[in-house]
Amino acid sequence: MAPIVKVSNLDKYFGRLHVLKNVSLEVQPREVVCIIGRSGSGKSTFLRCINFLEEPSHGTIEVDGLVVAGGEKGKEHRQLIHDLRLRTGMVFQDFNLFPHMSVLENVIEGPVIVKKMDRAKAIELAEKNLNNVDMLWKKDEYPNRLSGGQKQRVAIARALTMEPRVMLFDEPTSALDPELIGEVLNVMKKVAQEGMTMLIVTHEMGFAKEVADRVMVMAEGEIIEQATPEELFENPKDPRTRALIDRYRSGSN
Amino acid sequence: MASIADQGAPTSQAELLYQAQLRKVRIFRMHVGITWVALLLIIVFFFSGQNFLGIKTISLDTDFISRNLSFIAGGLGETIRISILSILLAILLALLAALGRLSTFPPFYALSTFYVSLIRGTPLYLQIFFFFLALPQIIPAWAAVPGLWAGVLALGLNYGAYMSETFRAGIASVSKGQREAAIALGMNPGQTMRRIVIPQALRFAIPPMGNDFISMTKDSALVSATGFVHELMWRATKVGRAQFNNLEALIVAAVFYWGLTLILTYFQNRLEARMSKGDR
Ligand SMILES: Nc1ncnc2c1ncn2[C@@H]1O[C@H](COP(=O)(O)OP(=O)(O)O)[C@@H](O)[C@H]1O
Ligand SMILES: [Mg+2]
Repeated sequence: MAPIVKVSNLDKYFGRLHVLKNVSLEVQPREVVCIIGRSGSGKSTFLRCINFLEEPSHGTIEVDGLVVAGGEKGKEHRQLIHDLRLRTGMVFQDFNLFPHMSVLENVIEGPVIVKKMDRAKAIELAEKNLNNVDMLWKKDEYPNRLSGGQKQRVAIARALTMEPRVMLFDEPTSALDPELIGEVLNVMKKVAQEGMTMLIVTHEMGFAKEVADRVMVMAEGEIIEQATPEELFENPKDPRTRALIDRYRSGSN
Repeated sequence: MASIADQGAPTSQAELLYQAQLRKVRIFRMHVGITWVALLLIIVFFFSGQNFLGIKTISLDTDFISRNLSFIAGGLGETIRISILSILLAILLALLAALGRLSTFPPFYALSTFYVSLIRGTPLYLQIFFFFLALPQIIPAWAAVPGLWAGVLALGLNYGAYMSETFRAGIASVSKGQREAAIALGMNPGQTMRRIVIPQALRFAIPPMGNDFISMTKDSALVSATGFVHELMWRATKVGRAQFNNLEALIVAAVFYWGLTLILTYFQNRLEARMSKGDR
């Protein structure tokens, strides 16, 4: 099968700091890949390069047949980046819902403003997705009246309503109180079961074990190891992976 | 901290403390109110013209006041009109200047900083005279434009320069995450600004803008000095000088300005209260 996401020889520098070092990755349609690694290992930067929130210094990103090379300039390049972003949905650690818009307005904003979708059609789609994350009952509420878990579920619905080909999650539960993590993971599990391709940076080992097809370990800007969750958690090859898993097990992240 | 069980009981310790706190606040407010009224009465007494316990107070020409009250009051509308038009111009200029200040395109950045520096570097009084008296020297046709517009231009340009800082802070208050969420949805920089950043920046800027508007209603009095705009201050000084009743005329104008400020401050406070608990 042809990969739906293909990252080739990705390099990223912040000034002199070499944050991603020749990273390559292929993700199959419907595949769920969890990315783990210590803080500062480049997980966020890797995810953000895929939708060009960070411009890659070198290398190419391919999503659903659209190839965009890093380090280019000009109008054509910007158009390619725009098309790439329409193919990717992103969920952030701190939700980033728009506080001046109701839940429903948050979710239809992208389709109406970016895709110029008919408002009634956007609402229909938004309501379907809000229902899917069990947040339809709060559609007229403003974000500041929602719990963290509810906000994140709305953020997931917002990203899904753009109908992306792949969803990127950057530590979606790290800002949540422990008792709210489950509801968000459940929604993500449901999205995975519905066949969405997902790249998830997470510290939730239980979730990775249950939902991921593959777990990928990053250290110092490189992918040091990847395998199925069973294999990786039971039989880690790299000592850094072993150390990481031990830290998760002892619950100290 | 009250436990769950405590919350139902109205006489709980926390409830009692809260009630005492409320009572304290109420008593404080009452005392402040009483003192205000007392101070007001003292001022009224000093201008009452009565002889009381050997104190001879100032007597006002009440006849003059009743004859000219409606003439002076007639300037209130013009004061409000010039303030509203000027604040609208100021908001527009402030927004443009704030965007220029955040622009990475050198000419925009330069234009914005140049404008703010020039306006802040010269007195408002001078700017007002410039638009009334000096501008017609450059553009003769300007002399035919009603005086109101020169005043609006001067006040709007001046307040725009100061308010641009408020807007800049408002735009800076919108977190990077907000922009990134918009960009990730595929919005271009213009859409991100219009739909996400500016609405939030405006909310941030509304309370200080209210204060600016209140100051502007009073700074609009400066426009009277040119003699072309017949607002409160102009009318007060006109009749005051003509009939040697400056004291009475200025007191009447002061009462109008003060009253206007009190009303605007009341609405400003309500707006602020609503925004602080609103849908931010
Ligand atoms: N915008 C930035 N400018 C400079 N350095 C950055 C920036 N973003 C991330 N970094 C650096 O890049 C490295 C990787 O960061 P990040 O991708 O956030 O790691 P992770 O998500 O795995 O914690 C870190 O050393 C971090 O300090
Ligand atoms: Mg990170």
